Amino acid sequence: MKEDNPAIQAQNISPKVASKTKRKMKSREMAYYFMVLPAVILFAAFHTFPALQGIYYSFTNWNGISLDYDFVGLKNYINLFKDVTVLDSYLFTFKFAIFAAILVNIISLAVAIGLNSKIKGRNFFRAVYFLPNVLSVLIVGFIFNFFFTNILPDLGEEYKIEFLTTNILGSADFAWIGILLVFVWQACAFNIILYLSGLQTVPSELYEASSLDGANKWQQFWKVTFPMIAPFFTINMVLSMKNSLMVFDQIVAMTGGGPGNSTTSISLLIYTGGFSGGEFAFQSANAVIYFIVIMLISVFQLKILQKREMDM
Amino acid sequence: MKKTIAILSAGVLSLSLLAGCGGGEEDSSDGKVKIEFFHHKREGMETIDKLIAKFEKENPNIDVEQASPPEPSTVLRTRVSKSDIPDIIGVGGDMTYKDLSEAGVFADISDDKSLEKVQPAYVQMLKDVSGLEEVYAIPFATNAVGVIYNKAVFTELGLEIPKTWDEFIEVSESIKAAGKTPFFHTYKDAWTTLPSFNALVANTQGDDFYSELNKGNILAGKRYKEAAEKMVQLTEYGHKNQQGVGYNDGNTAFANGEAAMYLQGVWAIPEIKKANPDLELGVFPFPATNHADEVKVISGVDLILGLAASSKHPEEAKKFIEFLLEEENAKQYIQEQNSFSALNGITQDDPSVADLKASFEKGALTDFPDHYIPTGVAPEKTLQTLVLEKDVDAFLEKLQKDWEKVQDRK
Amino acid sequence: MMEKRTNWPVTILIALGSILILFPLYMAISIALKNPQELAQSALSFPFNLHWENFTRAIEATNFFSALKNSAVITIFTLVFTILSNSMVAYAIARNMHRKLFKTLYFYFVSALFIPFPIIMLPVVKQTSALGLNNPAGLILLYVVYGMAMNIFIYVGYIRSIPQELEEAAIVDGCSTWGVFWKVIFPLLTPINATVGILTCLWAWNDFLLPLIILSDSADATLPLVQYVFQTEFGTDYNLAFASYLLALAPMVLVYLFAQRWIIGGVVKGAIK
Repeated sequence: MKEDNPAIQAQNISPKVASKTKRKMKSREMAYYFMVLPAVILFAAFHTFPALQGIYYSFTNWNGISLDYDFVGLKNYINLFKDVTVLDSYLFTFKFAIFAAILVNIISLAVAIGLNSKIKGRNFFRAVYFLPNVLSVLIVGFIFNFFFTNILPDLGEEYKIEFLTTNILGSADFAWIGILLVFVWQACAFNIILYLSGLQTVPSELYEASSLDGANKWQQFWKVTFPMIAPFFTINMVLSMKNSLMVFDQIVAMTGGGPGNSTTSISLLIYTGGFSGGEFAFQSANAVIYFIVIMLISVFQLKILQKREMDM
Repeated sequence: MKKTIAILSAGVLSLSLLAGCGGGEEDSSDGKVKIEFFHHKREGMETIDKLIAKFEKENPNIDVEQASPPEPSTVLRTRVSKSDIPDIIGVGGDMTYKDLSEAGVFADISDDKSLEKVQPAYVQMLKDVSGLEEVYAIPFATNAVGVIYNKAVFTELGLEIPKTWDEFIEVSESIKAAGKTPFFHTYKDAWTTLPSFNALVANTQGDDFYSELNKGNILAGKRYKEAAEKMVQLTEYGHKNQQGVGYNDGNTAFANGEAAMYLQGVWAIPEIKKANPDLELGVFPFPATNHADEVKVISGVDLILGLAASSKHPEEAKKFIEFLLEEENAKQYIQEQNSFSALNGITQDDPSVADLKASFEKGALTDFPDHYIPTGVAPEKTLQTLVLEKDVDAFLEKLQKDWEKVQDRK
Repeated sequence: MMEKRTNWPVTILIALGSILILFPLYMAISIALKNPQELAQSALSFPFNLHWENFTRAIEATNFFSALKNSAVITIFTLVFTILSNSMVAYAIARNMHRKLFKTLYFYFVSALFIPFPIIMLPVVKQTSALGLNNPAGLILLYVVYGMAMNIFIYVGYIRSIPQELEEAAIVDGCSTWGVFWKVIFPLLTPINATVGILTCLWAWNDFLLPLIILSDSADATLPLVQYVFQTEFGTDYNLAFASYLLALAPMVLVYLFAQRWIIGGVVKGAIK
């Protein structure tokens, strides 16, 4: 990196030229600052400043619209840890995120391997599998909500399939599976394409060498393919984990967090509790904690990513 | 900070008042004054459109715009926080009204003449809900919760309208025995547990519930027991997929005769009629207890008309409010919306609600108990779990705890 | 690649899997083309009588063309401003990562990815309206600014892989930093611009929450917002609702069908960096 620095390079030139170049350098440098300055100002004004305000409110008892409010110190944070609804939403979100991340990655990888082998109509199928990614999450949620509520129970009655006769979105134990299915249906699209591009970076000679060694397909996958696409695996894990931790639209469209609070994710709770629930300050404190949690998980995952990159 | 905000909002207020003085001409190019009517009755948009058209014809210099967005409560709160407050606000007589009143959103109309047109009981309801002596809005339309029933089924099975809880259960048993579904529950939408719960709670929680509440004693855990047990009992008379069907589908299913009774407010009737205009239905008072003559019908303020303190055109906005309060117009609204009027002397004569009329006439009415539960408690969620798990003790404990914790956060 | 012949078992499995993707969409289309009686008889059957009037009614009910225009305007402006501005900011950062200030800026922008939106929601609503930005222009501004977190992450990774010799040659020719960026670097960014452009379009087109809270005037409503009428007013008119859903999804799907290879290629390039 050091030799890239134009200032250092400039020192090797004769003094007279150097001072001229330096002035030129100066304006060259200034340009960089001018490029970022408006962005930094706007970003600070429309993102950081509101976020700091949000953090400030988390130490008050403001309900979002009242004219006056009091500073309550850490009370919201203490109450947060005593609140069963909040704890349940964290449990639900983690359960959901872990299952979603695992399912999305297994399915995407399997489909990507299939798409990468010698099949007919490969471009067509690739296009089909990516299609869900261009659809609005909210509308997809509405559509599947209709299937679960109106179509599956009728089919269950008709073909005498007992567990289909009641809407799983109405069951406290299984509603999350309905949401998980829709999430996976849509989230796989992006990850399949990422895995597919990863698989295409694996040189085919490696396969040929391993099949000469007498490895079967299964061994070949674990010894050749998987190590080669490991960075893609980690990227996909980080991405799908983060997206599923923030799950929101699907739940709004399908269960609204119910039955009870069984499918209330953290972001949904912050949204509903903070706005229609009139507990803006309390849910702001929740959002601060949520931010810290997501940050920690992502940093943890990135550490693994870096470690793996070093191993390669 | 507190002070700064107070000063700022005072500044904004006076600025808008100043603007109000000069207002009128500069508003829009065609010289019309534009006022905005924001309300939460999406079902009523068509009716209100008609009324606006009529008003604008009478007042060609005023242009009324109605707004009824999705998620009205969230939108309204964000608009208040951005000081972009509609001239006229129509919400329910509930916690949203309380929060808006406390935030100084409404102009104080305690001494307004229009209030004389309103039945005092509904004005009192607003005072009770907000806990304030001042009145900040005019109660316009009210609603009622009862038991909507399919007249054909009742005639076919030779059933009488039940007057007591025991009769209610008996009727349900006979319907069940005849192979029909007594109730079409719609538990997928959590809020649909509230109408019947309100009816049960209001009649069983005890007269001193609110006075104790004002003293800071929350009695939900003890006093809601009977209501919760009866809620669980009612789940036995539903249909198979009652956990998985929501309000919209419920309206259609009831309209198509899939159940004999439907535990909803009168606001569902226009929706049911839309799905099946030929259905003969009626509404009887919810027989919450065995003391037939003491049973009260739940009727709350469904739509208030509040004038924003920050309105730039208070005169014009007031004119529109007064227009809506005129007998003919108020009548048109309640007829098309199948609701009741908060105004003196305007009655709902639709045959479907004839059975409720007696209660209205003798004033055997009481407000929705959930209007007094802080919004953060979200009782409908806990109720949804109750009708699913049928665990009364767990329900009472959770509701009591949630209420206490929300109170504690204030 | 090893097999010379088509692998039929895998082809069949992939085809079966794609049915899982297409079947729900087939259902949505078939529901949108039926009338309520036909839907009640069988949701699965093929729609023999095509009820196109569902679509014309949906267009009326949601004021479709107005919403389409609003969505299109917002998406297109967001797209153009995002690509022009975010790539430039990322360039300045990528070429100065050895400086503490720029490195800090990089992490400053990227860490915003982890801030939950609800915490900034109410303050930002207040602020945009105080500045008179509670309109499509304000919405576009917010998309451009909020997109920076992700886009700078993508752009910086890509720009750092571009060899600096090219720029140095341009500098020797007397190009200013601005000139270097617009004449040399920006054209090289085309593949990654495609990636950012696609992700930005999908976001701005499909977003629900931000338009809901920022836009004050109902005449500005975007396509996702108007779909909400089917949760209330037209509660059980599912044929109408599905027709409207398809109308809202259609523009993006059409763009996708025509530019499918290019879009997938763009996403892949963004991911590898």
